[in-house]
Amino acid sequence: MATKKTLQGVLLYLGYLVMFLFIVFPLYWIVTMSFKEFRDIIAYPPRFLFKPTLANYRAILGLAGDGAGFAFLGYLKNSIIVSSLSVALSALVSIPAAYAFARFPMRLKDNLSFTILSLRFAPEILIIIPLYAVFSKLNLYDTYLGLILVHQLITLPLTIWILRGFFAEVPVEIEESAKVDGCGPWRILTRISLPVILPGVAGAMIVSFVFSWNNLLFGLVLSGPKTQPVTVGILQTMHFDQINWGWMAAAIVFSIIPGILVSGYFGKYLVKGLTEGAVKQ
Amino acid sequence: MGGLAHKKRLSSLCASPYLFVIPALVLVIGIFVPFLSAVWTSFTDSKLYIAETNFIGLKNYIDLFRSGQFQQSLKITVFYSLLSLAVQLPLGLGVAFLLNIPSRMQRFMRVVLVLPLLIPPVVAGLIWRTMMHPTNGILNHLLGLIRIAPLPWLSSPKTALISVVLIDTWVFTPFVALLLLAGLQSIPAELKEAASIDGAGVLDRLLWITIPWLTPHILLVTIFRAADSLKSFDIVYQATRGGPLNATRLLHIMAYEEAIRWAGFGKSMAIIMVLWIMCYAITNILVNRWKRAVEVM
Repeated sequence: MATKKTLQGVLLYLGYLVMFLFIVFPLYWIVTMSFKEFRDIIAYPPRFLFKPTLANYRAILGLAGDGAGFAFLGYLKNSIIVSSLSVALSALVSIPAAYAFARFPMRLKDNLSFTILSLRFAPEILIIIPLYAVFSKLNLYDTYLGLILVHQLITLPLTIWILRGFFAEVPVEIEESAKVDGCGPWRILTRISLPVILPGVAGAMIVSFVFSWNNLLFGLVLSGPKTQPVTVGILQTMHFDQINWGWMAAAIVFSIIPGILVSGYFGKYLVKGLTEGAVKQ
Repeated sequence: MGGLAHKKRLSSLCASPYLFVIPALVLVIGIFVPFLSAVWTSFTDSKLYIAETNFIGLKNYIDLFRSGQFQQSLKITVFYSLLSLAVQLPLGLGVAFLLNIPSRMQRFMRVVLVLPLLIPPVVAGLIWRTMMHPTNGILNHLLGLIRIAPLPWLSSPKTALISVVLIDTWVFTPFVALLLLAGLQSIPAELKEAASIDGAGVLDRLLWITIPWLTPHILLVTIFRAADSLKSFDIVYQATRGGPLNATRLLHIMAYEEAIRWAGFGKSMAIIMVLWIMCYAITNILVNRWKRAVEVM
């Protein structure tokens, strides 16, 4: 019996080890690459031990002094602006919508909520190319407003869907008593139900922030030099076949920091947000 | 629980439910206008720099289905999607089982699991492309250490598509595992206890309790992964740009290049319509199954 237990334990930790290496090694590799000098990067066999340098970071932050490097902070700023405002707009719009989907009897409810969810499954190019023409006409091309609007395609369905699951969980009895006291539906939502599901709102916002941050295609087609996000900015470290590996690695590290920070602080909300919408109908 | 009376009272405020949805609806309509314009464009010879646009009926579609390149892209796209599902669903299920076992490291491993979800797929493509470099990439070096001949990875038409699916697996298996783990955790403890009292073995419990309970979760995660892998773009765009020799030219990539590089909006929209119909059909079928599975529970 004891040996069987030990064997199970060994197998469990072996599984952990394989999973850990598969997930973490690529990240470890790119982080160390960002601290390597060029000759250490191209060395073969690859070097695990090397003298670390901050030159790549200085270059991409424009601190190199000799004018080398590129304005990575600008891309970072653009991504932060677009993703956080997109998430904020989505939250504002979807709190009442998700509440209505969860609570009110509506004839079109099922169709509507499925339509909104199915936006999530449409190929992005389908919307982006026609929008490109519209944006050019309305002067929305390469503006924050334009990008925030198009990012709703990602953030809105996610937020509505996740929040609907949370609202459905709130016991109807709490709302009943408020109604007896003469509260209208808007007040019930803002005073009673919303405070209860604040963790859900946090989860939904984090999930949609991460997905918005990770998006490439919207920025690739609909943003220009003024508003390009990090996912597009990183590609600027490559010109034709000349890749500046060190800069690229440093830029990658910068581009993944916000996601890791956000989920480090609110990790449990991230998982909650991701799974809650899925589990609850 | 007085549900009927409750329903009645709420519906007396019948104007408000739609009022609550209006802002979201406005945004959705804002998306539908370009969608309709895309449908229309797919029936025209629209080009970016040419003002005149003519209605040409089904010509774009007929041209597409006659073109060998489109047929190949269609095949590759379906293969990519099926292979991703075939790898990621069992692997994700395995990881979910692994992380459902109580242990001291359980919490830590769950944090590790979330990491790939926080990396933009385009960046993951870049990281792996660096590691998969055929001459001085770390992967071939590691293979050499265990005496395996170096692989061409992304640089050969034979291995490129599989390499891209490997990257896709790194990025998206955690998503599969997380949803399935949530499913596993929602199995009521009484159900499992009752089964062990009845003398059910590990295999019995898996077959008659765990798997049926997980069915809605598996369906749901399949919906997401099927649609997302069919319209996969970011990883391939960075890792191979559709090459070598179009070996990884998925439909989404093809539509993008047609529109951006060749300015052929009409043709691009025809490609994207085919892709969209595929995504829509598969998600619609699976969503209906999912609804049925949830109702049974």
